[in-house]
Amino acid sequence: MSETSSTATIVVESLVARAGRTALARLSLSWTAGAHAVLGAREDGGPLLLATIAGRVLPRSGQVRIFGADSRHPRVRRQVAYVPLETSLPDALRVDEALSVAAALRAEPAQDAGGRLAVLGLEALARRPVRSLLASEARAVALAEALTSTQVRVLFIEEPFAVMDARAAGRMAERLRARAEGGAVIVVATASVGDAGDLAEDHLLLRRGAVVRRGASEDVLVGFWQDGSNARLRVVLKAAADGPALAAALARQPHVVAIERLGGAVCARGRDAAALARAAARAAVEAGIEVAELRFDPPSLDEARAGAPLQATSP
Amino acid sequence: MTTALARLPFGRLTGGVNAWITTGAWTTLAFSVAVMAHERGAAHGADIVLVDTVGALILPLLAYGLVGVVVGGRSLAASGLSLVAFGAMPSRAAAVTIAVAAAACAVTGALLAAGVAVLAHGSADPAPAGDALASAYVGALGGGAYACWFSLGATFGRRGGGRALFLVVDWMLGSTDGLALVTPRGNLRNLLGGAAPVHVSGRVSSVALILIAGACALLAARRCRT
Repeated sequence: MSETSSTATIVVESLVARAGRTALARLSLSWTAGAHAVLGAREDGGPLLLATIAGRVLPRSGQVRIFGADSRHPRVRRQVAYVPLETSLPDALRVDEALSVAAALRAEPAQDAGGRLAVLGLEALARRPVRSLLASEARAVALAEALTSTQVRVLFIEEPFAVMDARAAGRMAERLRARAEGGAVIVVATASVGDAGDLAEDHLLLRRGAVVRRGASEDVLVGFWQDGSNARLRVVLKAAADGPALAAALARQPHVVAIERLGGAVCARGRDAAALARAAARAAVEAGIEVAELRFDPPSLDEARAGAPLQATSP
Repeated sequence: MTTALARLPFGRLTGGVNAWITTGAWTTLAFSVAVMAHERGAAHGADIVLVDTVGALILPLLAYGLVGVVVGGRSLAASGLSLVAFGAMPSRAAAVTIAVAAAACAVTGALLAAGVAVLAHGSADPAPAGDALASAYVGALGGGAYACWFSLGATFGRRGGGRALFLVVDWMLGSTDGLALVTPRGNLRNLLGGAAPVHVSGRVSSVALILIAGACALLAARRCRT
């Protein structure tokens, strides 16, 4: 996240926008090629930010520039794809016809629809009328169009794993990473810290339309909890009755900051994920307890918000 | 680019049954009235049916219905959102949608008016062939103007409900003398042989219809810029 405005693909300066009860308050940021996440609830303004940058919502003031030009410039529009929760596809056409129209509008050579859809496992939808698609299928088709377009270099996705066809959801992360590595700018807006961590290299934490924290994933996650810990390890036990013994053993480990019992599992928090895993293994061996599963849990959005400073940060 | 933009509104027009039902119903009504007028032996049968039935009632309602089908029952801006998502300029998507609606209404209006002129032909009407040709020209002009008029209406309201308001405005203002000149209804009535608004000639009404169509199309596309 060291890019300057002059090298960034997307530059937002003092952006003020409003849609309904959601507003963005003088946001300034920039993004270069790679996968980025805007973390926050819908009312915090993540989807509004993406819609405004994509040129779907008029900003009240401020500037949005993509590839150095206004985001509503025809040349820029062809290179930007926006997949909101309520995706709109050409309703009177079949899926393959819609993809052919998309190729013509983006001024790119037409490709085989089945091949384009296959990147997300959707080839069976090629001959289906768009009207017959479920919302999740329509969203997946829109995403496949964006991923396979030779013109699209900027892709905005609202809640990538919500209302998403199961076939597409399983392949999406890999495809998005490949596009990002190929030089595209991928920005997802999500309320899920886990989804953001799976898809993006850096996070921008929004609260009530303002940036409260920004940085590489691991940096932003540092200090998510009030006690300064940034990793939560869930130890699922084979026998729930072993919970108190494991909690006691964990309490003696040096890298464990906090412990919580949750039914048949014990959650331990600490500042270093690797040290926390070693501590849990040592505790289980010392207490002679059989462990069924070890799993790192991401913080919830509320925990992330609680741990973040409230003042806006500069990009 | 234009062809790609036209595929969606054209698909709405030809792919569903709504457009066919709308066109079929109003055409059947118009032709039935025309046949009845002919059967009654009205001397000016074609004139009467064209002015009182086609121009006053059927062509506006037919255009109203067809524009609704072309925009998919939404506002004009919303009807092109799926094309805008693929990188199209919103105003261009709207302009092509209006063009498809205008072409559909013009062709339908021309065939409807020509058919009525032939079916309702009376002894005092001009020769059927010439009358059908002149009626087709007026029907096309009126249909195109109404399509643009209702397209502008479709830019108002979340679901394009402004179309209904424009229908009422056309009916109210088109029935007056002076303000009828700025409505499709007043000028269409003049061209079909009815009362002329502020006694203008047919040529002025033709120009007025073209201007109304152009102004409405321009304003509608402009209102869809974002």
